[in-house]
Amino acid sequence: MPSAATLSVGRAPARSIGIRLRRIRHRLRIPLFCYIALLPVLALFLYVRIIPIGFGFVLSLYRWNMISPRKPFVGLANYIQLFGDENFIAALKNTTIYSFATVILTTILALPLAVFLSRQSRLSPFYQTIYFLPVITPLIPMSIAWKWIYDYNYGVLNYLLSLVGLPAVPWLTDPSIALWAVILMTVWKQLGYAMVLYLVGLRNIPQEYTEAASIDGATDTQRFWRVTLPLLRPILLYVLVTSSISSFNVFAQVYVMTVGSQTAPGNALRVLVYDIYTNAFQFLHMGYASAEAVMLTMIVLGLTLIQFRAVRTDTAKET
Amino acid sequence: MRSKLKLGRRDALTLAAGATLAATAVASADVALSCWTGYPELVSWYKERGDAYAKDHPGFSLNVLSTTLREHEQKLAAAMPTGTGPDLFDVGLILSVNFIEAGLIKPNPPDIDKQIKSGAYAKVSLDQFTVDGKTYGLPILFSTPALFWNKAYFREAGLTQAPQTFVEVMDYAKKLVKFDNTGKMTRSGISLRLSGQGSGIGEKWRFLLEPAGGSLIAATPSGKWHQNYDNEAGRAATKFYIDAVQVHRVDDPKILHDADAFVSGTTAMLLREAWVIGEIQQKAPNLEYDVAPMPRWTAAAAGPHKTLVGQDGLYVSAKSKNQQAAYDFMKFLTTAESTVLLTQKSGWVGGRTDVDWSPLLKQIPQYAGFVNPPRDMQFYVDPAISPWNEIETKIANQLTTAYVDPNMEDPQKLADFIHKCAMDTDQILKDADMYGPA
Repeated sequence: MPSAATLSVGRAPARSIGIRLRRIRHRLRIPLFCYIALLPVLALFLYVRIIPIGFGFVLSLYRWNMISPRKPFVGLANYIQLFGDENFIAALKNTTIYSFATVILTTILALPLAVFLSRQSRLSPFYQTIYFLPVITPLIPMSIAWKWIYDYNYGVLNYLLSLVGLPAVPWLTDPSIALWAVILMTVWKQLGYAMVLYLVGLRNIPQEYTEAASIDGATDTQRFWRVTLPLLRPILLYVLVTSSISSFNVFAQVYVMTVGSQTAPGNALRVLVYDIYTNAFQFLHMGYASAEAVMLTMIVLGLTLIQFRAVRTDTAKET
Repeated sequence: MRSKLKLGRRDALTLAAGATLAATAVASADVALSCWTGYPELVSWYKERGDAYAKDHPGFSLNVLSTTLREHEQKLAAAMPTGTGPDLFDVGLILSVNFIEAGLIKPNPPDIDKQIKSGAYAKVSLDQFTVDGKTYGLPILFSTPALFWNKAYFREAGLTQAPQTFVEVMDYAKKLVKFDNTGKMTRSGISLRLSGQGSGIGEKWRFLLEPAGGSLIAATPSGKWHQNYDNEAGRAATKFYIDAVQVHRVDDPKILHDADAFVSGTTAMLLREAWVIGEIQQKAPNLEYDVAPMPRWTAAAAGPHKTLVGQDGLYVSAKSKNQQAAYDFMKFLTTAESTVLLTQKSGWVGGRTDVDWSPLLKQIPQYAGFVNPPRDMQFYVDPAISPWNEIETKIANQLTTAYVDPNMEDPQKLADFIHKCAMDTDQILKDADMYGPA
């Protein structure tokens, strides 16, 4: 029979392991609960987002016709074919112009608007509502309405031009104007969203900073460039990234505005998602369309990384 | 008393068993067919026919789903391979050929095969619905384009009859076009399809290409295909469009187009199918118009009347669980009575050619341009090959640019353009392993 001393020596490590395990269990209790609680959402995200993206990449390596049972592996052939495809190149060019133009114009217009509306004024909430209204209106009906606004013969825009003696403009039928007409409509739609985000950012800037700058003798312009804008950069980054992603994914307004027998000829309004849609659902070339989708993902990912590097680094320096 | 009770139990058991069997029989007779159509204007006809069929078939019900044609095709393309499609659907040959190749539509059962071969359909229909000697589906629409012309505008311009050739079409259009003081076109001489999405532009270009002697693709003796428009016919058909827009200015991309233009009086002539009659009846019942056969290319004796037959078929999905009922309802939908009713309700001309159209013609004489084509009318069809839609859509895309490109007035540039398009067409055929040299 072992002595009590021997027992206590033998039990000590076991007890300490037990205590340690209890502590770990106690420490993991909350995170474990969180992960278990999140599991259904994560599983759903995996199922509806991650797996389709992965499967899309796999599809891009096949000649995958949606209906045909023959789906041969073609390696990178779809990607190689893309670079000789006039439609893809035109779509890429148009989408790039569209994205840069909408993001730049939205930013240029929304920021001063937000600065102006951030000042305390009785009419400020009214104007904020007015500018935000297009954001909450559904895109499809708005696109149809804009198609009518742009109509060459009966559109209100050409009517207004005629009032000041200007000739009618073929907004959607002239290949050199059509893309810009869609850009204009998108800027109108997105302006309020960017403006509200900038307003939130502006209101979160502590007044002490601007007051200190004023005491140091900074003018309004100097205060904006040296204090407000640097502190607004996280919001600016967010707006740039989300606007760029949504701009590269433009589809609905282009689709609606090109439906019917009166649209810009040829590839003047072809954008990437429209080209993907055509190849996938009209020509049933799922593999080829997936290769286009992978390219689009890479472009957007690359652009996002560039934006992060350009804006975030500077923010770090400033802070 | 006891024996009576015993008998009563037996009776009760027999009755219960009988009732169960009867209930099972009723349940098995209950059929809910799903039917998808790409023609919203056919929905009321489908529903009416479904109700009529249900009178003789208790327990039958029909659920009709309708979207626009392109969305319908996309829904079918996604749903059919996964077995989530409808029992019965209508679709053009562009897509049905893919389903047939993939085994998603089975060959017709004997009674349906007998019906399509009964002489009730035009030969061109039978040919189109036959693949490798077996028939698939039944024609539901026999859609041919013809020339709509505004009689009041013609009278105003001193013209008494519809043009007989495309040369006359251009001459007449020059007399019919109108401009305002600023030089803005207020009425086109003819409304051509100059822009838009999809294959429709290519299809309308073929309205001229085929009478001119070309075709988008042609079959080789070995069963392969190659382009057939890098020739005089292809250049002439394209030149007609370019001349109409840029030289003679009888049409303009900026003015209202298509059926809307004809219905609203914004054009004097339009090449379109019979459904426009339905539009006119609804929106402009007092419009003075008539319908003439598709013009010949040149002088009357020199070329044949040629017109496209767009044939949509009714098909039963190979994955349908109600195939027997679906085939039976399909037969009901394609009776002579149903065919006339389809035309009356939708404006589209039904698939059968053995029906008596006289009551309809008495009511709307303009249908004669569609249901009584000239005897020498030659029909051409969309080749039933899987890359057809891509071929027609991709050339459509290029044509719209050419129609408004001032460089195309140069014959050499036009020839180069046509050659490039033709090479693209051959490349699509090569990619699909369907190319064979001429």
